[in-house]
Amino acid sequence: MTARASRPTLPAPPPLPPPPGFVARLCIGTGEPVVDVFKEVAGIYSVFVRTLYFSFRGRAERGAVLREMYEIGNRSLLFITVVMGFIGMIFVYQGGVQAQRIIPDLTMLGATYLEYLVRALASDIGAMMLATRVGAGIAAAIGSMVVTEQVDALRMCAAEPVDYLVVPRFKASLVMTVVLLIFGGVVACMTGYLTARYAFGQRWDQFFNLTLVRWSDVFIFVIKCVAYGAAIPVVSGYCGLTAYGGSEGVGSATTRAVVNSALAVIILNLVISAAGYIVFG
Amino acid sequence: MIEFIDLYKSFGDKPVLEGVSITVTDSEVFFIVGQSGVGKSVLIKHLVGLLRPDRGQILLDGEDITFLTEKQFYRVRMKCGMVFQHSTLFDSMTILENVALPLRKHKRISTKNAREAAMRRLADVHMEEFAGRYPAEFGDGMRKRVAIARTLMLEPRYVLFDEPTTSLDPISARRVDHLIRELSDRLGVTSIVVSHDLTSIFSIPDRIAMLYKGKVQLLGTQDDFRSTRDPIVQQFINGEAEGPMEI
Repeated sequence: MTARASRPTLPAPPPLPPPPGFVARLCIGTGEPVVDVFKEVAGIYSVFVRTLYFSFRGRAERGAVLREMYEIGNRSLLFITVVMGFIGMIFVYQGGVQAQRIIPDLTMLGATYLEYLVRALASDIGAMMLATRVGAGIAAAIGSMVVTEQVDALRMCAAEPVDYLVVPRFKASLVMTVVLLIFGGVVACMTGYLTARYAFGQRWDQFFNLTLVRWSDVFIFVIKCVAYGAAIPVVSGYCGLTAYGGSEGVGSATTRAVVNSALAVIILNLVISAAGYIVFG
Repeated sequence: MIEFIDLYKSFGDKPVLEGVSITVTDSEVFFIVGQSGVGKSVLIKHLVGLLRPDRGQILLDGEDITFLTEKQFYRVRMKCGMVFQHSTLFDSMTILENVALPLRKHKRISTKNAREAAMRRLADVHMEEFAGRYPAEFGDGMRKRVAIARTLMLEPRYVLFDEPTTSLDPISARRVDHLIRELSDRLGVTSIVVSHDLTSIFSIPDRIAMLYKGKVQLLGTQDDFRSTRDPIVQQFINGEAEGPMEI
């Protein structure tokens, strides 16, 4: 009987590192999303700076801005009309019903509604609606160009993608957002008046009482319109330019554009309103 | 001459190129072949700055172009044209406007002059009668011809073709092969062609490099590929489903 050869002994595996503690787990769990948010903000800022640069120094295609104005402005007209029309009716009706319960006096219904309309309602609700329609459209258009390599083809033709794709939309949005939000405000005003007249028997001169609307409110309204008009194409353009992975990537970019544009509108609203309060009181 | 030297590229934690070194000499038709997702397109996109390597060096005519800025790459892109896999014509522009775009942007010549030059180039690919129509009205073969015309507008010395015969019918595919060979023979253009079309691989290239697992598996002539005993290359060129190649 022969002796069996003994098996070679394997070296002992290195000891496992101790499991991370509570603080380490907390840092790991929260760190990654925080870094992602910072990356997103830095990316949007980079697109914004390049958009501003190419707005003055770029080589715009003839007719591109007009085409985008039609796309952003004319094609949003019905949507904004319907939304702001209903918003006007809902706010005046609800406001009137609540006022009747507390102080059965509706003489200031129009004045308070118009003040709120100019200060916040027309610009904020209108911009949120535009963030969904225009933001999704921009991200989908640019995103689909990215995933089909059309943006790479643009770069091969010495056309800077931000200059070629974002700048015309930026310029168009600056103009058309102001126009659409003013138009939306007028529509909400008219539907609000009709609601006040037929639901609460308000007269024309009673409703269109502008005593509470100050010039500073109008100024802040215009500033908000311009800021929203700038933010929506930049945020959505960034989301489109960072799309990857085929049609699924375009869908994801579109969702990010809507969410981030809406967030941008809310944050800008807070910043501009706070600044307006500090400056004008 | 184009030199890729020890090139590495990863996307996230997925390595794609792991030390690729290839030299392409002037006027040759050079094929890069391999499985889908092996990094063929990734490799050629590095040459024109559409992607940046993690490590390694790229030399174009002896100049290190690895880390040029986007603007500095414009002059590289005038020398090196690229025909993309899906033609990538701009849907909002007519065929003529598509072909005129590189001239207008790179050389800043007037729209009228660019259009005249584009018309001549469209005539070269027998598409001049469709100049005023939009890309969506055409099939893949005609779109590919327009894309080639657009790339040739700047008269590049190097042309990169990313799967030029994919999705084409056999006759259109052979026409494209013929065009690539003719560019090299008549005009001295150097072509780098990414492909897995076996008919093309064994008809027009001067040399072929096969990528596998981020590295060059074999680099040689058509005869070298036919005669090799490397089981991985054999499986690829014979198009066999079973074999040593990992998917």
